[in-house]
Amino acid sequence: MIGNFLDQFWSLTFGGLSLGFIYILIALGYTMVYGVLRMINFANSEIFMVGTFATIIIIKDVFQFTQTSEYATGFRLWLILGTALISSMLVSGILSMLVEMVAYRRLRRMNSGVLAPLISAIGVSMVLSESVRILTDSRPVASPRAMEKKFLGQFFDAGIRIDNTIIVISALVLFGILITFVNKTRMGKAIRAVSMNPNAARLMGINIDGVISATFLVGGLMTGAAGFFYTLKYENTSAFIGFELGIAAFTAAILGGIGNIKGAFYGGLALGLLETYASFFLGTQWKAVTVFVVLVLVLYTRPNGLFGEALTQTRA
Amino acid sequence: MKKRGLISVAAAAALAVSSLVGFAPASHAKAKRITLAFQGPLTGEEASVGQDELAGMLYAIKLFNAKNKGKYKVKVVQADDQGDPAQSAKVAPGIASNKKIIGLVGAAYSGATIAALPYYKQRNLAMVSPSATRVSITDAAAGNIGFPVFHRVVPTDKVQGPALFKLATKGVSSPKVYIVDDQSAYGVGLVDYMKPTIPAGQGAGFDSVSDKTTDWSATIAKVKTAGANVVIYTGYFPQAAPFFKQLRDSGYTGILAGGDGVLSPTFVTLAPASVLEGVRLTAGTVPLAEIDAKLEADFAKKMGKASGVYAAESIDATNVFLSCIAKGVSTRDAMLKCVKAYSGKSLTGTTIKFNQFGDVAGGVMNGFEVKNGVIKFTGAVK
Repeated sequence: MIGNFLDQFWSLTFGGLSLGFIYILIALGYTMVYGVLRMINFANSEIFMVGTFATIIIIKDVFQFTQTSEYATGFRLWLILGTALISSMLVSGILSMLVEMVAYRRLRRMNSGVLAPLISAIGVSMVLSESVRILTDSRPVASPRAMEKKFLGQFFDAGIRIDNTIIVISALVLFGILITFVNKTRMGKAIRAVSMNPNAARLMGINIDGVISATFLVGGLMTGAAGFFYTLKYENTSAFIGFELGIAAFTAAILGGIGNIKGAFYGGLALGLLETYASFFLGTQWKAVTVFVVLVLVLYTRPNGLFGEALTQTRA
Repeated sequence: MKKRGLISVAAAAALAVSSLVGFAPASHAKAKRITLAFQGPLTGEEASVGQDELAGMLYAIKLFNAKNKGKYKVKVVQADDQGDPAQSAKVAPGIASNKKIIGLVGAAYSGATIAALPYYKQRNLAMVSPSATRVSITDAAAGNIGFPVFHRVVPTDKVQGPALFKLATKGVSSPKVYIVDDQSAYGVGLVDYMKPTIPAGQGAGFDSVSDKTTDWSATIAKVKTAGANVVIYTGYFPQAAPFFKQLRDSGYTGILAGGDGVLSPTFVTLAPASVLEGVRLTAGTVPLAEIDAKLEADFAKKMGKASGVYAAESIDATNVFLSCIAKGVSTRDAMLKCVKAYSGKSLTGTTIKFNQFGDVAGGVMNGFEVKNGVIKFTGAVK
């Protein structure tokens, strides 16, 4: 078994890494909102799901790809991928902002406490997934393939596939942009200020609603990017996809320390790799069990996750 | 408990209304009106299976009504179970208590069949399923759960399991077969019936994977470690397509195969045609066009769409009831007796005669192969 594992180590690792980066981006959606509002935005999983559909609509309906189409190459390929990425990010980002305005803002103004936004979040999540379920007649939907999934090279025994490479590099770039945004820009500073002490931030003249909207937008943009990468890698989605991935990313966020951007990063990577290795060693049916056993063990020793809870700890 | 009661009352009311609507327009005043029911997934992920079977049933009835104009007029009540046992348990009480229904074509799926059986047994409603293949329904050792009302015109998974293995390894000089099930009763059962027929040295390994799986890399790593050149998936098409796709993308070049759970027109829309090229499938169904091109043309003309999976079997199942109706049967008790004694020919020319548990003797499994993004019939698996 160990010998087999070593044979497959690098290909499992590459698979786990690209899955991990998808988790990171979704986990950022949870973590950003939690950092600012101390609230779990359960609708984030459906924002991801809508992002996967946005990508498919771009590839299938705008660029007219079918399952028998020739693959795109050169400039056209990058145009398609770029359009799909930006569209998914925008659709998810704007949807995320709308969800905040419709479902949370008024509750927050009325000082509703923690339970009302929680049930409101679950409600939004159900409305979104059920609407898509009805629109798609509960069927799985596939994205036609626009890009040939070729191997770029070999690393030991493992082939390095183009889509995994694109995911890892782009996710790293997006993560870098996010860190810079939070640490270096005025809005980033305002987000951190609200996260630290909303009342003091208000007294300093920060527009709290504006900051919260921006946080939801940024979280949604990251989650939307995850929707694009997911569709690029797996090419299949359905109205129910959000639940699986959402739970996984939420777990990743908790594992790393929710509210902490760096925590989302390491939590996502750890979860992606852990799931993949555990499925190989123990059988795929043990994946979820292993993940949660590890999560509980981590929380035993570090109740706030690996990196603690706080957006403010991301200071460079 | 209360909620469930309410739902079944609502379902019963809905059915009552639909059958009333069915009876209202009396175009042939003297014709004797008979009601049959269909049960299968008409909405949801598996809707295409049920819709195709329903079309087969309606086609058979259309021919019958035209032939017996002024004598009989057969109507169909549709029960949508979404292929889901929980949903089936909600619609079955309504069908069972609607006394106008004297026979039921279905249920399409085995799990849904088992969930509905207690209601139909209690009310003596004869069932003939075109596609429920689980062995236990007619297995005396499993407690005769289908007896006496359940019958089926397809061979069971006991026949399909070994046939699937045979088809998957056909023409492969030294097959090493890796088998993956979806943890469902159907998938696990199919593997159980396959296992005893696997020759020594040909089994490369097994994996059992949740039907919620989206990332298959661990299973793929196991397939590669085992050095398999044949991979069989016993589950349904929504998972089969991503699995096969990820397996091919990882560089696997061997054979891919699946059972009738994968045989769906939607399957080929879920992955690029080049990825699914050559996928081998088994099922107890024969496409209408393979039986007779004229039959398929007539079907397409009358039903407004091409026939789908299990169309022939749905027609066969419906014909069992129709022949009894033609003999003057108009009550449930008489219908059950008549179905039990039935002996007739299927569309393919084989004899349909049920044994005491409701199975037809013999039974042929057919092979299919994906070519250029279309599922093609390749003949009986021998």
